[in-house]
Amino acid sequence: MSIVIEDVEKVYGDQRALKGVSLRIETGGIVGLLGPNGAGKTTLVETLEGLREPTRGHVSVLGLNPFREAHRLKLRLGAQLQSTAIPPDLSTVEVLRLYGAFYPRPRPVREVIDRVGLTGMESAVVRNLSGGQRQRLALGMALVHAPELLILDEPTTGLDPVARRSLHELVRALRAEGCSIILTTHYIEEAEQLCDRVIVLRAGEVVADGSPFELIQRAGGVSTLWIACSGPFDPSALVAAGATPQGREGEHHRFLTHDTAAAITALAAMLRDQELTLTDLRMKRPTLEDVYLELVGADAAGHDAVGPDPAVGLLMGAAR
Amino acid sequence: MTGLLRATWALYVAHLATFRRSRTAVYWTLAFPLFFLLMFGVVLGHGNREAFNQLMPGLFTITLISGSLFGVSLRMVTERETGILRRHHLTPVHPVAIVLAHGGIALTTLALSVLIQTLVAASAFGFRVHGSPFTLIFVLLLGGVALIPFGLVVGSVARDSKVAPAMTNFLFFPLMFLSGAALPFSFFPEWLQRVARLVPTTYVVEALQGVIVRGTGPLELGVPVSMLLLTSIIGITANGLLFRWESTEPVRARRLVVAIVVLAIIYAVAFALDPHLHIADPR
Repeated sequence: MSIVIEDVEKVYGDQRALKGVSLRIETGGIVGLLGPNGAGKTTLVETLEGLREPTRGHVSVLGLNPFREAHRLKLRLGAQLQSTAIPPDLSTVEVLRLYGAFYPRPRPVREVIDRVGLTGMESAVVRNLSGGQRQRLALGMALVHAPELLILDEPTTGLDPVARRSLHELVRALRAEGCSIILTTHYIEEAEQLCDRVIVLRAGEVVADGSPFELIQRAGGVSTLWIACSGPFDPSALVAAGATPQGREGEHHRFLTHDTAAAITALAAMLRDQELTLTDLRMKRPTLEDVYLELVGADAAGHDAVGPDPAVGLLMGAAR
Repeated sequence: MTGLLRATWALYVAHLATFRRSRTAVYWTLAFPLFFLLMFGVVLGHGNREAFNQLMPGLFTITLISGSLFGVSLRMVTERETGILRRHHLTPVHPVAIVLAHGGIALTTLALSVLIQTLVAASAFGFRVHGSPFTLIFVLLLGGVALIPFGLVVGSVARDSKVAPAMTNFLFFPLMFLSGAALPFSFFPEWLQRVARLVPTTYVVEALQGVIVRGTGPLELGVPVSMLLLTSIIGITANGLLFRWESTEPVRARRLVVAIVVLAIIYAVAFALDPHLHIADPR
């Protein structure tokens, strides 16, 4: 077991940042913590890193207590903080040399530079680096000791799409090398494309947990079908299969359905029975974004969500 | 142990690289002490060598005080405020390595300040040491090691980079004026001259005056040297105990009070054993 979190609660003053979170995370793969600002993502990962002690509950990372066995854990754990502070007047090489000196057997600086794609930027001073280069350097700082577990807090926030994509490639390459990765994000596409498992946090609670595919499946969202045929047709077979007609959009008849497989089967039978030819078929499946917006509430996606929401109750079964 | 030394050295090297790239740091280390020297030499020295020589202990002491307090405290506060120390906290680095590296860079810049002052004082104003130059170097280093922890303590206790300069000023003026470094003791009423005996920098002036003006050997400087040694040990220990990784961590006020009380007891005992000043006013 890589990480065990049992009933962890964190209180700041009169605010409960975490309200009894329990999770088990196995080694291997990329786990994404997804949620709006203020959902408790940073508090949770910083508890794993040993920077914040939980008010209540128990945490074990790589079989170690992050507070009582901090030194042993720090030798095996690499982490990038949200907007990591880096000494501004040092060059990239000087920064990596400094952080390497904190560990007994650091990787050669050259290797780390190449690994995070900062080749050619060795003598560039940190204050002159771009946002993307800084994030790469911060990742390099977390990799100097070849950690088994990597925790990245919003590694792509503020990056342009190109820089974000190349950071995704880097994270995938690290997974291929056998490094376990936990990352927080509020980008849904990022969680969907990058993560093997997504844990959705909302106001200090886990509201959904599973692979992106599973989450979409479990949410049972509505798909849209657009059907165009060679002639007029009778949709009763489709309606019998559970699809709801939504009228026409030009050539296309629009339907909503919870069960696309049944609708397509009915459509095939209908075309054969009515001797029609299909001229076009389009389908839009629910995305993780739809599921997410339903979970945290569309208005809360940008800020903290408070109070119960019927959609959450419906989906609580999705949380392990 | 080797891990601690390696981390300390790496942090020191990083501070040195940062120092080299900072113009304000170079200004405060080189230009400011020179400005002070010229002011002393031209305005107070009157072109008289012996009179100028008698001013040098005070001048060196002022350089030691300002070099031990201002940059030192601000560096530590800024590292904590900007989150660099928080990032360090994710690594196995020991706080003692961080404190030692801060002390090391402070001592280095202090040595640079004093060196340039000595060179200019010797070539332009005919400064010369009556005692051994090695004793002078020893006393100056000891003065730095005794005073730098005060700057570091401010760096660990101050809330942010706005409060730190106010706190250092609060220390700077008594350390400077009560030691006779800036004003001759004859300006002071009798009771204030007694109070001077309770200020660490008075022992710095006393030792420097001994070696520069009277040519006193290291063994005869036993009292000021041991007082400064004790001050260093308490100061360094206090820093190990007061270190904070993050601004949100509470200040360990009880430890601070204990350190101040221990220091006060030592100075009170020294005062009780010998309440007389051993510093002569410059003629």
